[in-house]
Amino acid sequence: MISLSIQVEPFPIVEPLIVRLQESGTEARSQHDAVLLDIDGHRREYNFQGFSFVVRTPPDECIDGDVLLVLPGQTSAHRLIRASSHHNTLLVTEQCDQLCVMCSQPPKKYHTDLFDQFAVAAALAPQGAMIGISGGEPLLHKTRLFEMITKVAVERPDIRFHVLTNGQHLEPSDVETIFQLGRERILWGVPLYSANRNTHDRIVGKDGAFARLELGLVTLMRAGASVELRTVVLQQNWSDLPDLATFINTRLGFISVWALMQLERIGYGRMNWDSSFQDTSTEFEQIRRAVDIATARGIRTSLYNFPLCSVPPEYRDFAPSTISDWKRKYLEFCTDCGARGTCGGFFQWYSHNEGFAALGPL
Amino acid sequence: MPIVPLKFRESDDDLLLFADDAGGYFKSDSKFLHRYALGRLEPSDIRFLHDHGHGFEEIGDLAYSGFEHRFASRQYVPHELDYIILVPTLRCNLACGYCQVSRVNENTPGFDWDEKTIEAVLRFLGNLATRKIKIEFQGGEPLLRLDIIKRVRDYCRVKFEESEFVICTNLQDVSFEAWKLLEQPDVFTSTSLDSNPLTHQFQRTITAEKTNTFFKNLAAAVEKLGPGKVSALPTINPHNPPLPQSVIDTFLDFGIRSIYLRPVNYQGFARRKFDARASAKIWNQYHSSFIDALVELNWISDQPVEEYYFVHCLRRVLRAGHNGHVDLRNPNLVGYGYLVIDHDGELYPTDEARMVSRIGQFDLSMGDVHSGLSRDTVDAFNAEALNNFHPDCVHCPYQAFCGVDLVDDLSRYGRIDLPKHLTDFCQRHTYIFDKIFSMIYSDDPKVRKSLAIWSGSPRFDGSLAKVHR
Repeated sequence: MISLSIQVEPFPIVEPLIVRLQESGTEARSQHDAVLLDIDGHRREYNFQGFSFVVRTPPDECIDGDVLLVLPGQTSAHRLIRASSHHNTLLVTEQCDQLCVMCSQPPKKYHTDLFDQFAVAAALAPQGAMIGISGGEPLLHKTRLFEMITKVAVERPDIRFHVLTNGQHLEPSDVETIFQLGRERILWGVPLYSANRNTHDRIVGKDGAFARLELGLVTLMRAGASVELRTVVLQQNWSDLPDLATFINTRLGFISVWALMQLERIGYGRMNWDSSFQDTSTEFEQIRRAVDIATARGIRTSLYNFPLCSVPPEYRDFAPSTISDWKRKYLEFCTDCGARGTCGGFFQWYSHNEGFAALGPL
Repeated sequence: MPIVPLKFRESDDDLLLFADDAGGYFKSDSKFLHRYALGRLEPSDIRFLHDHGHGFEEIGDLAYSGFEHRFASRQYVPHELDYIILVPTLRCNLACGYCQVSRVNENTPGFDWDEKTIEAVLRFLGNLATRKIKIEFQGGEPLLRLDIIKRVRDYCRVKFEESEFVICTNLQDVSFEAWKLLEQPDVFTSTSLDSNPLTHQFQRTITAEKTNTFFKNLAAAVEKLGPGKVSALPTINPHNPPLPQSVIDTFLDFGIRSIYLRPVNYQGFARRKFDARASAKIWNQYHSSFIDALVELNWISDQPVEEYYFVHCLRRVLRAGHNGHVDLRNPNLVGYGYLVIDHDGELYPTDEARMVSRIGQFDLSMGDVHSGLSRDTVDAFNAEALNNFHPDCVHCPYQAFCGVDLVDDLSRYGRIDLPKHLTDFCQRHTYIFDKIFSMIYSDDPKVRKSLAIWSGSPRFDGSLAKVHR
């Protein structure tokens, strides 16, 4: 598993610090660049504005171009941007106003505002990077979030964002801001679990969430935003999927893609696994219908986090490899599988004896 | 809860097809129609209409906005000019009986671009704002002016970030140099293949020798260029059509799986030879039998075949925003996204408009390459080019899927204000949409298999054929 933190030797700071690691022999391109001086086993020493900045990491690990967040008094830094990865996500808050049964990152009460640091980090990302913004619910701090994205957009017009939001806090007054940020700048990942408002509200643990989400989606539509509509497939919404496809066709034809997602066994997803996980390797009918309806209607539909062997052959083209590199694993039988190159595998925290019943190498 | 206006039409299963302005459709019975018309909808009616996007709770809510979005997506908005049809010569080495494009004999002088025109065309292309360009060479037979094709190609490759060239050729006389051109990765070949060798010879090549040459060249093209780079159109005389199976077999022999059936066009000089004026009915019968033949074939074949225009219309029924094809749009605004530069440098909004103008019916030219674009005439024309308010169309459940073709109306009737239901365009499209809905609501597994293939989904789901009872 790829680590998202990295050991650093204590560094005398009183404010959070953003550092970009540069290979030796390069010029510092900004005041945040640390240039490698020496590697000695696990120890890498950098020149950071004339000071010695030391990182401890295995010698074969590539960290050139990575952007770190170093907090005062801490010896573990966050690898905010891994330059070699397409899966970089900034966790901007852990607060949330929903309590979803499958939440992989259960909410916390307190919030530390690091938006200024995140803006600096994002502006140091590799050319053309797509950076995830996640939480908690990022839009609980909407003003700060928009400030951050606007700042990055000015400095780095090539950087794009993938914002995961529950859509509860988007209002008509946001249309202009979102429009100005531009359709290409942000892909909004918004969850919708059912066309039945009661089912949706139950799944997200909030009364009235469906009604608020409808208004949030209207805001995104009117702003001409790119939206990835996300539906985690659960026992709770299994029989609702075909009707949801019809709902999307009549109400949400503007979306860029509809993602039907398998459950991630972590956080509340692990706690509620038995009552939520739907084994789509033995029973695929409702997904089949949902994909058929949406596709015929011209809505791009995609199956996220589905191992290819859990999907019937004629639907495998709908299932790209989507599990982030640092969360991904393969099982023993995957060794002999001819589809391994295109399959996203399993989440690290997937437990096969409680998981899919009908898998095997292709 | 407000319900959006519904239009309806009887269908052959004792039910009525209902559709709204955004293309949402369902079937129900005459009892529902009475409840709807008399304002006596029951709670179950209202729930159904709301669930399926035909109603909303208040202006601006998601159901309302979704309806607006679907409605708006069905209106064609022209994009920047990035598709130019060039006619470098009107000369041709064939004399097909139906020639739509008007042509002159191969040796006739004065029907080619002169040096001044070539330079003006390049200047015209040079002034375009687009970064991507698609150039289609028509004629006459454009391969007779390989030199001009090369000059335009070389110019475009430098001027534009991306360029694509389509050579519409009869593949009758392809020199070594011409093959070299066609083999290039940004060059595509489009030709006419009239159904089967017998019909092709009767309608196009006349002599067995020329027929053999064409089929040899077509085989060579498919082999050298690959089937993906060669397209072929069959022109069908509806009064004497070939058997559908023979057309399909001929196309399959060349690995071509998308067939765009076209009736002989009642325009240009074709009108002198073929009576196509009142042929909608027999054309529709033929087209329907062709679709049925495809359904039978797709049932047993693992390599599916489609009729291009039928699939386009099917997708327009199922989807909003499917406005990519010039033959069926609403509003059908011409002279913006693409235009034609004729052999004499005149600019026309479409190929058909060029023919209407050439035979003196109505001048639809838009200026010339030397003095520049003048859109006054076509803009006046464009102001009428929509079906949204036409008295026939507003009552038709197919309105959202359909379009208009005023150039066609003009060429057939000399006017654009004929009641739509009397026009060939309306009769042909009413048939096509009747056929599509009879298939959507069919239980026949053969039909459903073809619908799945043509709509791009693994299976054709039953909920796409909603019935409210």
